[in-house]
Amino acid sequence: MTSFSTLSTALSALTTQRAALDVAGQNVANVNTVGYTRQRAETTSVSAIASASRFSSGLPVGQGVTVTGVSRLGDIFADARVRSSTSLASDLLSRADSLTRLESTITEPSDKGVGAQLAQFWASWQDLSNNPGEAAPAQVVLESATMLSDAIRAGYQAVDTQWTEMRTQVSALVTEVNTTANGIAELNGSIRSVTVSGGNANELMDKRDMLILRMSELTGATARPMEDGTVTVSIGGNPVVSGDRAYGLHLEGATKMTGAASDVPLLAWDRTSAGPVSLDGGTLAGMIAALAPANATGTGGMLAEAARAYDSLATSLTTKVNAIHSTGVTTTGAPGGDFYTLGSDPAVPPSLALTLASTDYRNIAAATPGNGAFDGSVADRIAQIGTAVDSPDRDWQRFVVDLGVNTQSAVRSATVAESARSTAEQIQLAQTSVDIDEETINMLAFQRAYQGAARVMTTVDEMLDTLINRTGVVGR
Amino acid sequence: MITRITHQMTQRTSLENIQTNLRAMSKLQGQASSLRRIEKPSDDPAGTAQALRLRSESRALSQYDRNASDGAAWLNTVDTALTTASTQLTRARTLAIQGANSGTMNAQSREAIAQEIEAARDALLGQANTTYLGRAVFAGTSDAGAAFDRDAVTGTYTYNGSAGTVERRIAEDVTVRVDGNGGAVFGTGATSVFATLDRLAADLRAGADVSGYIDEIDAHHDAILQETATIGARTNQIDAQLQANASKKLAVKADISAVEDVDLAETLVNLQAQEVAYKAALGATSRVLQPTLLDFIR
Repeated sequence: MTSFSTLSTALSALTTQRAALDVAGQNVANVNTVGYTRQRAETTSVSAIASASRFSSGLPVGQGVTVTGVSRLGDIFADARVRSSTSLASDLLSRADSLTRLESTITEPSDKGVGAQLAQFWASWQDLSNNPGEAAPAQVVLESATMLSDAIRAGYQAVDTQWTEMRTQVSALVTEVNTTANGIAELNGSIRSVTVSGGNANELMDKRDMLILRMSELTGATARPMEDGTVTVSIGGNPVVSGDRAYGLHLEGATKMTGAASDVPLLAWDRTSAGPVSLDGGTLAGMIAALAPANATGTGGMLAEAARAYDSLATSLTTKVNAIHSTGVTTTGAPGGDFYTLGSDPAVPPSLALTLASTDYRNIAAATPGNGAFDGSVADRIAQIGTAVDSPDRDWQRFVVDLGVNTQSAVRSATVAESARSTAEQIQLAQTSVDIDEETINMLAFQRAYQGAARVMTTVDEMLDTLINRTGVVGR
Repeated sequence: MITRITHQMTQRTSLENIQTNLRAMSKLQGQASSLRRIEKPSDDPAGTAQALRLRSESRALSQYDRNASDGAAWLNTVDTALTTASTQLTRARTLAIQGANSGTMNAQSREAIAQEIEAARDALLGQANTTYLGRAVFAGTSDAGAAFDRDAVTGTYTYNGSAGTVERRIAEDVTVRVDGNGGAVFGTGATSVFATLDRLAADLRAGADVSGYIDEIDAHHDAILQETATIGARTNQIDAQLQANASKKLAVKADISAVEDVDLAETLVNLQAQEVAYKAALGATSRVLQPTLLDFIR
């Protein structure tokens, strides 16, 4: 134990407190940085030097303090909880969003929707039945029939557009997934080399956590930390990032809604051996589900089901009106053929193919054969289609109400999942976010410790001064 | 249990609360300004089902109203025609009685009566060919311009009416016949009231006894009166249905409004309450975000 060793003890304290203050400064600087995890300088006391020999004199005292590292005060369990709740919340949110958008295109209940057009169409047949043989009511029938088929076509096209846009969006998001995976892989590599060389990779880890969270939000990916500091990210059990390698995925399947039934859109791994991607959650899961084709039980993709509702409305309207219309005769006694036609091309969906068989009002058959030319009984029977139990009106109402129920429940479960996500995030933030008060107190403590160490230096300095300059001057 | 609270957490919580309050307020404001409770089906799926059904019912009811009004106009036309026809036939009967007093009349006065009877016949024919909006009301569903034609050469009468009847749907499953049964009222061909009057005029001119025609005219008159009664009954039916429809329409309107529209008082009270909540959230945020330890140490 030499006189100067105390100086070096004080010096170690000065360096250590300044390093701790640096870390506090970094924390305060990043108080509002999203994704930043607070850090702490870990210090440890330095033990006394072992005695050189049995007869060494002096009291063995510790050699000061040193910084052993800067630890990152994260919680991997809180992180995992945030990831899983985010993947569920974003899955449900994307479903609720698609349904809400679909719902906004049907404009019901209103005076303009398909329901109102149907009622108007039936009423126009009543007017024709009152005045058969007159041009005006017959023209009104043709007009309202055209408006109805236009409304059905517009509804179908809105669904079709939404499908196409959603597919484009999915392929953009798939690109983002691949970019994110590459980013994570790159960070894994950097973090590994920094950690191996004993450096501080805390900020890189923050960045990587942000990317993994985005990955979970998109695909429901899960992450597993490895011993070398890297993180393995998996989607549906298959790794998308492992070490510094990323595995890409891509979107397959039809690019048009009409082709989706035979060529279902799905995500697949670039490496062919892994087959299709099974998504556990995330935005993409909700979107891929919405792109799915309709099925027999009516639980297929929401867009295809909506398109099918429009198609079956068009078909049922055509079948029912034509069945009665073809039994009638026109004012000139000619037999009434079809009123609506669905065209001859089976590839065109009925909603788009629905047109008037003849645009000449004189071809409307309102009369029962055998009655007078001004008979309107067939027109009256057509008008009564709307009141039947299996009328197109009822089918439409059922579709609208089903959509409303689905939307309402989707929005509700999205809200619940969002609040679960928010709670998980609060728990994570409680662990990781910077508290200014805490940092202020830490800074005070470091400052005091620094002052104390400086005082030790002064004291030793004064002692040495006494020893060097004041001794041996007795009687001078 | 969250034991560590940081400023970032309070910031986020405050922001979330403000957002929640503002969203609720914006929804209420939307409802208060549009006065509609159901803007889209998911606002209330059950209510939407009701609203859609009620809307189509309301549209159907107004159509039944239109049909009934049109039917009433037809029946009025038929009724007026029948009343006038009845007057003309009464006149013809009076003339026939006059003509039957054959002993007191010379050829000139018989000719005068015959001419007057022919005038009555023409008037009757005119009534039988009454039209409403271009349609002969006694010709059924036929597209002929007139219900009865008189052949200028042979003087025979043809009835142009067809098999079908003119019906108006005045309620979902109620139809009413609104045309006059021309064949039954005026008779067809040689047994028609016109042919009877022609023969009467001819017999008068020939100086024959015409007293037998009075019973024949009475039979025709009975047919007209019978039809008048039927038409009256149908008119009553339509009137009653119109009234029923009117009250039903009011009820449906009230139902639609109850399902779709907001309760204004309730919405405004809720809006007021939500505004208070929003202000409270803003106030709390301003107090929560201000202080840190830095405000208290130097």
